[in-house]
Amino acid sequence: MPITHEGLAREFEFVSNPGERKHISEAIDGTAPIMQELAYELIVGNNTDVDRLTQEALADGFTANQLLDDGLLNGMAIVGVKFRDNLIFVPEVLVAARAMKAGMVHIEPILSASGAEPAGTVIMGTVKGDLHDIGKNLCIMMLRGAGFVVHDIGVDSSPEDFLDAVDEHGAQVVGMSALLTTTMPNMGRTIATFEDMGMRDQVRIMVGGAPVTQDFADEMGADAYGDNAVDAVDKAKELVELLAELQSS
Amino acid sequence: MSPVVEKMTSRERVLAALAGEPVDRPPVCTPTNVATVELMDLVEAPFPTANRDGEMNARLAATAYTELGFDTIAPYFSIIQESSALGCDMQWEQKDNWPTVRMSKPIWRNSTDVKIPADFLEHQDTKAITDSIRILKDEFGDEVAIVGKTMGPWTLAYHVFGVEPFLLGTVDDPAETMRALDALKEITILYGQAQIDAGADVLTLPDHATGDLVSGEYYRRFLLELHQELEEELPVPLILHICGATVDRMPYIAETGMAAFHFDSKNDPVEAMAAVDGKIRLVGNINNPTTLYARGPEEVRAEVNAALDAGVQLIAPECAIPLKTKLENLVEIPIAIEDWIAERGQN
Repeated sequence: MPITHEGLAREFEFVSNPGERKHISEAIDGTAPIMQELAYELIVGNNTDVDRLTQEALADGFTANQLLDDGLLNGMAIVGVKFRDNLIFVPEVLVAARAMKAGMVHIEPILSASGAEPAGTVIMGTVKGDLHDIGKNLCIMMLRGAGFVVHDIGVDSSPEDFLDAVDEHGAQVVGMSALLTTTMPNMGRTIATFEDMGMRDQVRIMVGGAPVTQDFADEMGADAYGDNAVDAVDKAKELVELLAELQSS
Repeated sequence: MSPVVEKMTSRERVLAALAGEPVDRPPVCTPTNVATVELMDLVEAPFPTANRDGEMNARLAATAYTELGFDTIAPYFSIIQESSALGCDMQWEQKDNWPTVRMSKPIWRNSTDVKIPADFLEHQDTKAITDSIRILKDEFGDEVAIVGKTMGPWTLAYHVFGVEPFLLGTVDDPAETMRALDALKEITILYGQAQIDAGADVLTLPDHATGDLVSGEYYRRFLLELHQELEEELPVPLILHICGATVDRMPYIAETGMAAFHFDSKNDPVEAMAAVDGKIRLVGNINNPTTLYARGPEEVRAEVNAALDAGVQLIAPECAIPLKTKLENLVEIPIAIEDWIAERGQN
């Protein structure tokens, strides 16, 4: 049994998909007890303990990358599975995200200073007419945790806001979020604007948000649909690779 | 075999369906909104002014009946009238976008902050709806059902406290959440009663404890009793509206005593009917963003038929529609119902 922390072992039992069990247990296998404790405290949303453990681990000589990969992201992987499987909902995800932020406060400056090559550059925004940002912010947090540079253009973002941000930051991926069925069509309008302006081939576009579906994403001409924040990270990685292949061929 | 029901007026049809009584055909209902840019142009009543001016509001709202053939007129198009009157930071937008509350700038922090302004019902944005209901009642009398709308305490909480702080509070201090909801409930009652006094036959009560955000258990824990109280306080049929996947909470919703539940296309109508077990009527659930907005009448008809075949009692778009929805798709809903009845009979 690779997981020695009792609470984390209990949480791991919520992961039922065999492939995911293998992937997550391999990621946790052999990690230090304090990393497992960190992952557990993040899952249960204990931001005070995540803050304390992060500082202690750094003082003990663990690297920022270890803390991120072995502690925080392992915890968020289980949170993501539980959220997708309707075992927990947004309030529980928000407290986990708050705990992750408590750890990232100490880790992010170290990672930024290390000058590591980013996984890609992503523009994230909520579409025009929609002021909801919880889902978008969770995605941003997970993308940054996975090594992406993310430029958040906020809520109520017009097609031109997305275009300008891509232009300014040379992003490979655009992520659009919407919570309302009334504003979802603005995803299609934004994609059409990229086409009209001759910029569609420069970027890959992913969409997400509570009412958004794969069917709708296909209908609007998006390149990918992210079902949740963990999925959004996977899709962003795939899109960066896809764009690189397209541009090199 | 049940006796054939004589032809009803739209109002009779809606009220009978909400009471679970026989109808000549299932009504087409609009618990939320069916105003579109095309209809705004047709009657020269564009957003955002149509949300804020009673006369213009009534003109646009009436098109649901006069142009689309729906059995209801619902003059409260959005979900923000009360919040504007409470002092929330508003974004009124233009003709083709919905007005909305800037929830990132909450006006209150906790239950003790909840204060209803003395002139709440006289504020331009609450009064626009009550004025409109009076105008519509004068014009249409008992011909068509006038559906008002009063926001539930959960939705008001998103607006006044901000979504994220409010949801975090449900974990950090559930007792305080209950106090806040209890205080906000008074706004729901006050504005609902004002619309009843103005002539509303029915009230929609949106309260977005959606399956996309919170669990069914949350609904039971935080809202079930409050919704039962609201049903007792407001003396007209109530239609509860919650977006998203809601089958897990439908058995609780069925215990509210409300007349109907307006449900989303994320829920299969057959499963939904089984979940409520005949204890509450269902209204819905034609998909907006894909079917009504992006597809054609044939796909609309298929969804109407699926809802009717499942036994859904009142047919409606699942939620407020995108403002650029094609009219031919909306008009198809009542036509499809008539055809369904012609083919299968009343029962």
